[in-house]
Amino acid sequence: MPTTPDHTPRTTVEERLFSLVLALIATEIGLTKSDILSTVQGYRQRFLSDGDNSNLERQFERDKDDIRELGIPLETVHPLDDPGNNHLLRYRIPKGLYNLPADVSFSPDELMLLKLAATVWREGSLSAESRRALTKLNSLGVDSSDPVLGYAPHLRARDASFAPLSKALDHGQVVAFLYLKPGESSPRRRRVAPRALVLHGGRWHLYGTDQDADATRTFLLSRIVGPVVIVPGETFLPSGEGMGQQALDELDALWQANIAELDVEAGSDAAVRLSKRKAGKPMADTSPTGNDAESTLTLHYTDVDILADELAGYGPEVYVRSPLALRQAVRTRLVGVRDAHTGQAARELA
Amino acid sequence: MTGRLPALGASDKLTFLLSLIPYLMDHDSVTVTDVAAHFGVSPERVRDAVRLIAVSGIPGETHQYLDGDLFDIHWDDFEEYDRITLTHLVAIDDSPRFSAREAAALIAGLQYLSSLPENADRDAVASLMAKLSRGASAPPTQLAVSSPDSDTAMAVIQAAGRDGVQVEFDYLNARGEHDHRFVDPLRLESVDSDWYLRGWCHLRQAPRTFRLDRMSELGATTQPVGSHGAGLMLPDSLFQASDEDLSVTIELPASALALLADYAPDRRTTAVTGHRVQTTLRVAHHHGLKRLVAGLAGIVTVLEPTEARQAVADWAAAGAARYDDPTGEA
Repeated sequence: MPTTPDHTPRTTVEERLFSLVLALIATEIGLTKSDILSTVQGYRQRFLSDGDNSNLERQFERDKDDIRELGIPLETVHPLDDPGNNHLLRYRIPKGLYNLPADVSFSPDELMLLKLAATVWREGSLSAESRRALTKLNSLGVDSSDPVLGYAPHLRARDASFAPLSKALDHGQVVAFLYLKPGESSPRRRRVAPRALVLHGGRWHLYGTDQDADATRTFLLSRIVGPVVIVPGETFLPSGEGMGQQALDELDALWQANIAELDVEAGSDAAVRLSKRKAGKPMADTSPTGNDAESTLTLHYTDVDILADELAGYGPEVYVRSPLALRQAVRTRLVGVRDAHTGQAARELA
Repeated sequence: MTGRLPALGASDKLTFLLSLIPYLMDHDSVTVTDVAAHFGVSPERVRDAVRLIAVSGIPGETHQYLDGDLFDIHWDDFEEYDRITLTHLVAIDDSPRFSAREAAALIAGLQYLSSLPENADRDAVASLMAKLSRGASAPPTQLAVSSPDSDTAMAVIQAAGRDGVQVEFDYLNARGEHDHRFVDPLRLESVDSDWYLRGWCHLRQAPRTFRLDRMSELGATTQPVGSHGAGLMLPDSLFQASDEDLSVTIELPASALALLADYAPDRRTTAVTGHRVQTTLRVAHHHGLKRLVAGLAGIVTVLEPTEARQAVADWAAAGAARYDDPTGEA
């Protein structure tokens, strides 16, 4: 074993990670940390056989995390006869868990859909995840078919809380944040075990267990004020698949149960756009007042305040007939905007 | 967890190396150009990866990385003809699985696109998602996107694109004007829940962008598309600033700036009091501004010019007046 570092050029990060993956896949029984540091390309050049390797050990710990983040199943094997002995821990990547299962293959049409799906995320970590997933898909050598028409879909996750919440979701960490419910004068601190992040009605929602209420709650990301922090030491077991669907089902049920009845001015922006909405169905050809210039339509919704924001934007083109809470919420908004814009602007213009 | 991100690029490069090997295994001899095109990367990136693979391997029994422990390629083919031929393999011979987050990103992307005509076969999409889950090394992160109803407008536009014919529709533009348009469809784009058609507009004799939810009476025509669309470079951004845009000064909480990202290209702000800031918004006309501001009640206030302030006030006042019911219901 060489005791002095080589004079070869310093290896790159990807060469070190690549060599580590290869070495750990090739081993059946696993390699100990000292095996790895002393023999694997990228570590061995810096390994001191009779010195302090703590920097290199920390490097190895970080590399392990990075490799696992890529979905590579890097396992730790505890010695059977001496489970507490960290020096005897072995590391390996079982080939059967590394390889894509043989029955997972994709047709050219499926690949076209997946390529489109990957272009949906253009910012943040999901964009990088999509890009890497595509690279892995391309390794299968299938050429995708071309869509008939060009598509450029784009989904944003603009809420600042999205990234920290999705990370906490992955790592099973309890988070805390200030949450401002409409109608409450100040935000309240919530401790939540995140279960799913779902997009419903164009808004991102966090579905999770409120640790204080010990019950499942749905939070709108746009109502989270300030930073999302990890609660130290509080973790939970991920609840497995199906939580996202469960969250969507609950929101759908809520959406189904809430019905607004509106009069909209014929031919207006409100009439054209709201009638396109899922279940934005006209109730009758004319409103009960017999006024041809208006029609009545019904709209499902999940959150009265969000719908009120949207409807207020339509100004006089929309009149809310029911429910009363929505009617009042829209009126309050319009009166507020009117009053805020009446008279001189309350500031000194330079 | 430290919250530290892996060195930017290293994760991508490693993924590429691990993906390239099974691809090369399945292709006895392939040109660098073909590989680059298939993976959508530059030829130089392919060459770098091949050079690294060719000198990599496992420590082996001797711990010396001897020849038999390393990958090997046909060097003459590579250096003289830019062709890649793997001649010796080590350790891996299959594609890697997806990570939980990678699978989740694609699954959520598919859910978001479920209204596309290409996704009309729901069973096929469900089986595709199941395959992604099975191909992941851990259960996919719980990220879900509600599926909008399949949109007939998209199906009409897609079919017209396939048949090479124009579409026609009544359009209510952003200024509130109605007219009838004939358009050569070029691309369907979206931002969150809003979908847009970009195409060559025969009325305006120019490329234009149309919101799907502002179209009525949409149908395919029998008129073939013109040649304008071919080779037309559409700008990447949906929202184009124009010299005729109005500059409007507004005040809002700093935290709400993201809501207006499409309108404030310069991002210059002046702090006022507390968390409130002033900034300048670029809007095409009052018609759009008053709707935008009334939809952000309690958040955004227009300060100047006076006409813009007045337009917003009038709009909100007219809306509020509808509730000044003589019966006193509201």
